[in-house]
Amino acid sequence: MLERLIDLLRTGRSYRIADLARELDTTPALIEAMLERLEQMGYLRQICGDAGGWACRRGCAACVPAGVCVAGSGRAWVLTEKGMGDRQ
Amino acid sequence: MRSDRIPLVALAGQPNVGKSTVFNLLTGLSQHVGNWPGKTIERREGTFICDGRVYRLVDLPGTYSLTANSAEEVIAREFIVREKPDVVVALVDAAILERSLYLVAELVSLPAPVIVGLNMMDVAHQEGLEIDVQKLEAALGVRVVPMSAAHNVGVRELVEAVDQAVRGEYLYAPRRPAIRADHAEVLAEIERLVSPWTPSPYPPHWVALKLLEGDEEITRLMQAHLPAEQWETVHKILKAHEDALVAVASGRYEWIRQVIRAAVSRPRRGQISLTERLDRWAAHPFWGLVILAGILGLAFWLTYTVGLPLVDLLDAHILQPLAGLSRAGLEPISPWLAGLVADGLIGGGGFMLTFLPILVIFFAIMGILEDVGYMARAAYVMDGLMHPMGLHGKSFLPLFLGFGCNVPAVLGTRVIESRRARLLTALLAPLIPCTARMTVVAFLTPIFFGAAATWVSWGVVLLSLVVLAASGMVISRVFLRGERAAFIMELPLYHIPNPRTIGLFVWQRTAEFLRKAVTVILPVSLLVWALSVLPGGTMENSYLAWLGYRLEPLGRLMGLDWRLVVALLSSFIAKENAIATLGVVMGTGEDAGLARLLAQAYPPATGLAFLAVQVLFIPCVATVAALRQEVGWRWTLFNLGFQLTVAVVVGAAVYWLARLGGL
Repeated sequence: MLERLIDLLRTGRSYRIADLARELDTTPALIEAMLERLEQMGYLRQICGDAGGWACRRGCAACVPAGVCVAGSGRAWVLTEKGMGDRQ
Repeated sequence: MRSDRIPLVALAGQPNVGKSTVFNLLTGLSQHVGNWPGKTIERREGTFICDGRVYRLVDLPGTYSLTANSAEEVIAREFIVREKPDVVVALVDAAILERSLYLVAELVSLPAPVIVGLNMMDVAHQEGLEIDVQKLEAALGVRVVPMSAAHNVGVRELVEAVDQAVRGEYLYAPRRPAIRADHAEVLAEIERLVSPWTPSPYPPHWVALKLLEGDEEITRLMQAHLPAEQWETVHKILKAHEDALVAVASGRYEWIRQVIRAAVSRPRRGQISLTERLDRWAAHPFWGLVILAGILGLAFWLTYTVGLPLVDLLDAHILQPLAGLSRAGLEPISPWLAGLVADGLIGGGGFMLTFLPILVIFFAIMGILEDVGYMARAAYVMDGLMHPMGLHGKSFLPLFLGFGCNVPAVLGTRVIESRRARLLTALLAPLIPCTARMTVVAFLTPIFFGAAATWVSWGVVLLSLVVLAASGMVISRVFLRGERAAFIMELPLYHIPNPRTIGLFVWQRTAEFLRKAVTVILPVSLLVWALSVLPGGTMENSYLAWLGYRLEPLGRLMGLDWRLVVALLSSFIAKENAIATLGVVMGTGEDAGLARLLAQAYPPATGLAFLAVQVLFIPCVATVAALRQEVGWRWTLFNLGFQLTVAVVVGAAVYWLARLGGL
């Protein structure tokens, strides 16, 4: 399950949680739980949203009529080097 | 159950699942609170009675799993392994079963029989979840008791289930998570190797599983108990299967998926289905972009139709009389002072303030779009557009920030791990039209193009995106081949916007703008004014004109005279200074506003070229500073040269094409 999720993410496409849920034939809530687990394992990094949004926090604090946060009130993740690395 | 002791029941579950409520309901006053040995984590223990039999109940620390990640998890699993409770009650949250079941997946791998307390059934029901308890029991192979502990529902049934289990009437046959076949063989091999040396009371199968997961505690334990040679063999196998952690967790998630699929149904309704229906269009790869372009156009249209009359009103009724008054009042005292106040202060800086209505409306539209939940969709469909350029996920995010301001866009490239991708994204970021540049576009477009302003603004944004896309494509084809990174987004549900949130959004950004107007735009426009009258007192012989005339030959290529060139130069300090400088050099406040003076002085072809150059011209000083910090001087200078070249080439092309087109 987690392996299939990582494989999907390694295709380099962008996904909504709902897309991933459809691809893996499960609920968005389980996808979220798995994304959080992958984040904990260092495969993903949260770049936007409640806690981890470095770019957004920086963006809104640092400047000038600063733009809106990328993901609005949602969260966004990207694969880390570890996440992109080759699995045996 | 062993007859020599009081039956022991452990209460496990994640934080906030209602363990304390159940514990208090069961034990009442017969509980005591202490600490777990050697830890500052609270240990609660008590007794309860069922059918005349006394039970010991221990509340385990709240955990989501049983890895060695935290002290709580280690306490919980050590307790179950060492104290061997007669029953483990796993309390799960029915409303978020997907998160709650991971712990159960781990608990069923331990020897103690598990009973699942399916708490918060009322919440699950409110959220429209339908959970078939019998099917859940069948899928788990574990007794399930539906409950709403907060309403004291199901607690009695839970106690009865525990009682039955202790009396030996519970046929415990859990379905345990499986792991992939190749890893299953490795697991069996490790179990065979460690089994003779596993200290009691650790179950060898569980120890083997934890070793495969790379669990530090168990690894230390077994390293201490295994003979060196034996450990070396085990260690080699583990080293060759470092990815097994993913495989083991993966098996558990597959198990959860099957359980959820068997027992939970979620009829779509209300907000969720509305969001899904809207997203069929708003997040569609093609229609999503059309909708985004439409919304952008509508935002410009609204800004112009509502904002511009207000700007004219402020200009005609406040700014111009003020400039006239101060000129008349100060002229007898000092012509210099009159010039400073009327041209420098009011004509330049003050002029920016009449612009507030436009900005407030623009920020309000942005705020509404964000609060409704649309911005996340905009980001998602824009990401789709970036793919042909080879700019995936990580590069896209900072670029999107650039629409607000290029500074965080450049700083935001830090989320990109690959050095090369980071560098190239940082170089592209200043090509994004930021709000400051859009302010200039918003001001100048209606002056030159009247009713067609919405289309022209939209076209200028499109032009800068096309230049960005072309640059991105070249860069990605040449330098970034094969770099791909997925980007996962959680799109929030659409909801009715909250006026307070939007008000706050508008206020924060307007206050930012005002701060910038006072600290940056005003001083620069005073400096520009000073340069425009020194040394001789007339504009034609000033330092500013001298500089402008030197650069005019380059400007002519794009149809720009020295005043427009100087306006562009001053925009290096802050983009809005382009307008403030025009206010100074065009000399407003006498008989006509800046708008009319500009429209009289320049043909639309020049206006269009100026807009194009303005959005592509070298970034502002803050962005240059950010670039220098992120990519160093060499690449910053490259960026300045690159953008200057692009701006001149595109500006000249726009000017001559517009001339050919009769503008």
